[in-house]
Amino acid sequence: MADKIKLFVNGEEVEVESGKNLVDAVSAVGIEIPHLCYHPALGADGNCRMCLVGLEEGGPPLVPACKTPAQEGMKVLLDAEHIRKIQHDVMEFELINHPIDCPVCDQAGECKLQDYYMGYDRKDSRMTVPQVTKSKKLDFGGGVVHDQERCIVCGRCVRFLRQITKTGELGIINRTDTARVNIFPGRPIDNRYGLNVVDLCPVGAMTSSDFRFKQRVWFLKKVPSVCHGCAKGCSITIDHNREKYQDDIIYRFRPRLNQQVNGYFMCNDGRLSYRRENEGRLTQFRLGKNERDMLDVITGCNKEIAHSRKTVVLVSPDLSLEQMVSVKALAEKLGATLSGFSDGYIKTGDGDDYLISDDKAANRKGLEILGIDSSRKSFEEAMADAELLINFNNDLSLSYDESGIRSLLGDTRTIACSTHDDELTGQAHFALAISSYSEYAGTVINCDNVLQHFTKAVTKNNELPDVCAIAAELGSPLQNAGQAYAELQRAIGALSEYQPADIPAEGLNLNDSEAANVTA
Amino acid sequence: MGAKVKTIARRGSTLQERIFLIEIFKGMATTFGHFWRNLLDNSKLYVRHYPEVKPEIPVRWRGRHRLTSHEDGSVKCVACFMCQTNCPAQCIQIQAGERLDGKAEKMPVSFNIDLLECIYCGYCVEACPLDAIRMDTGIYSVTGKDRESFNMGIDDLLAKQGAFTEEDYKKGGA
Ligand code: SF4
Ligand code: SF4
Ligand code: SF4
Ligand code: SF4
Ligand code: FES
Repeated sequence: MADKIKLFVNGEEVEVESGKNLVDAVSAVGIEIPHLCYHPALGADGNCRMCLVGLEEGGPPLVPACKTPAQEGMKVLLDAEHIRKIQHDVMEFELINHPIDCPVCDQAGECKLQDYYMGYDRKDSRMTVPQVTKSKKLDFGGGVVHDQERCIVCGRCVRFLRQITKTGELGIINRTDTARVNIFPGRPIDNRYGLNVVDLCPVGAMTSSDFRFKQRVWFLKKVPSVCHGCAKGCSITIDHNREKYQDDIIYRFRPRLNQQVNGYFMCNDGRLSYRRENEGRLTQFRLGKNERDMLDVITGCNKEIAHSRKTVVLVSPDLSLEQMVSVKALAEKLGATLSGFSDGYIKTGDGDDYLISDDKAANRKGLEILGIDSSRKSFEEAMADAELLINFNNDLSLSYDESGIRSLLGDTRTIACSTHDDELTGQAHFALAISSYSEYAGTVINCDNVLQHFTKAVTKNNELPDVCAIAAELGSPLQNAGQAYAELQRAIGALSEYQPADIPAEGLNLNDSEAANVTA
Repeated sequence: MGAKVKTIARRGSTLQERIFLIEIFKGMATTFGHFWRNLLDNSKLYVRHYPEVKPEIPVRWRGRHRLTSHEDGSVKCVACFMCQTNCPAQCIQIQAGERLDGKAEKMPVSFNIDLLECIYCGYCVEACPLDAIRMDTGIYSVTGKDRESFNMGIDDLLAKQGAFTEEDYKKGGA
């Protein structure tokens, strides 16, 4: 914990952390200093002047809060007449040439200009000369659409691409009225984090071609979750909505601040992985090729399990810890071999040294901690004489090619519990639809040993059972999520003092807790 | 123009009235009097001859909706969803898409109002920043044979013109 210092805001004493600038220091105690160009991840640029505050004694009378470190005994003025006038004047200045596209602007509802206009301006425009017009709807590449008229030239996007991705695709060209953000001719935004500029832009100048016009943001329900796109497990917000007479679907993923994992950002692939939650889903229960009632299929599976002399249970490295312990308990009960073989989930060389990981599995650390064997050798040995394979959503097509799968399966009967309706699921003797990670609550551990809990976001019209429920139906002694979590607490010592709801939003770093590395 | 008010004294306490029978015949005489008079000449009826005679609709009457259009006939609506957001009955369903004719960036791909759910409050008209939706068609009676026919689509909404001149509409307080 950083040291605390005391300073005064509008004459009232507040205690804040030292070593921060004024904007961040006082926002931690709930006081807002309006700011446009400053972003904690990009540092202070000092170009917008929205954050000007007064200092009562010592130093200059007026300072930009984003560039001023909080100091002991400082007397900050925020609500004085002249500060309000400055805030109003800066807003008026920002809006001189602003097109007020709000009705057609995707940012409306989460726009800093709208918020600050309502908070600090609230005056009609005094402009009598025609506004400066600029280009609209420019395709900047990488799924980013730019509107130069809405841009307030805060430089956040430019700084992101220079400081964070170090690709520098954007620049600010010209000065004053003719200043615009643009790409260099023939060099579109081309990096795997480019879509973050859409979140960073405080106004609607950067929009995402993927999300464009799909929903107004105030209709979206926002639920914190964890991205399952790779082993990094970035903290995200799932924005979903059920339109009238339609199903609940996801409209976008956005990064959620987590200093332990992803900071303020996430990669493009992860951001767009929401589509897989909406599309290509398995929603039926099938006996062979025929759609049946869930109970019929489960009964069939249970008969099959009873007849099988050797059963192999395969789990996906994407399952939550709760689901893994349920399946593990099931395998022990059936005397089956349990495997987490998923070499195909690792795309060697795909990762980088920032967020993207080679491993596309969300919870491989979970397999390790629970002691689930994931080696190719033991899985293939077990499959050699297996009569039945129960596959909990492990996508074998990532690990084997077509002929490989054929020789692996031979005449083994298969029960496929699957979120997606792919070819392998189509060939399975039994197919059971299960819910995916946006539709259940669970816990996963990322590649850096940070354990995060996520809650259920989406409720489909036709709700599917999750892996825990299916495992319970197939005979797992852990009959509900509560029992699975209790078992999990036994396996992971660090969890013993936490109920799921108490796990901190930024997760638990298991490296910090001694207890984590024992047991199981 | 105030209505004429006629005060009728409460009656019913005299003996003759309390026998009832006499009063019943007197009442029947009045009834049959009206009956024969209306049968022979109905021009003096006290009620409107609906549906042969239609009522006059004032400009501010909230009738069935329509979507207004630009001079070239293209839709004015920019799919901002203000009306859908403001609608207390949640009976407006819009889908937005790119607009390519240069008039705006965005336009409705589909625009549905379910008139069976609409409560004709006019909040949608008030919310619209572009005067793109109005309830000035003068249509006060919406009838149909099945539920689907009450779900107005974008083409239905664009097809109908306003029932009043622009000048009168503006005078009506819009
Ligand atoms: S950037 Fe903000 S103020 Fe400007 S048009 Fe978009 S929503 Fe409106
Ligand atoms: S596009 Fe957005 S982030 Fe970039 S300079 Fe303009 S307002 Fe700032
Ligand atoms: S009149 Fe009222 S209920 Fe009907 S569509 Fe408009 S806002 Fe909705
Ligand atoms: S409020 Fe007006 S412009 Fe906006 S969607 Fe409704 S009709 Fe269209
Ligand atoms: S936020 Fe301080 S000058 Fe822009």
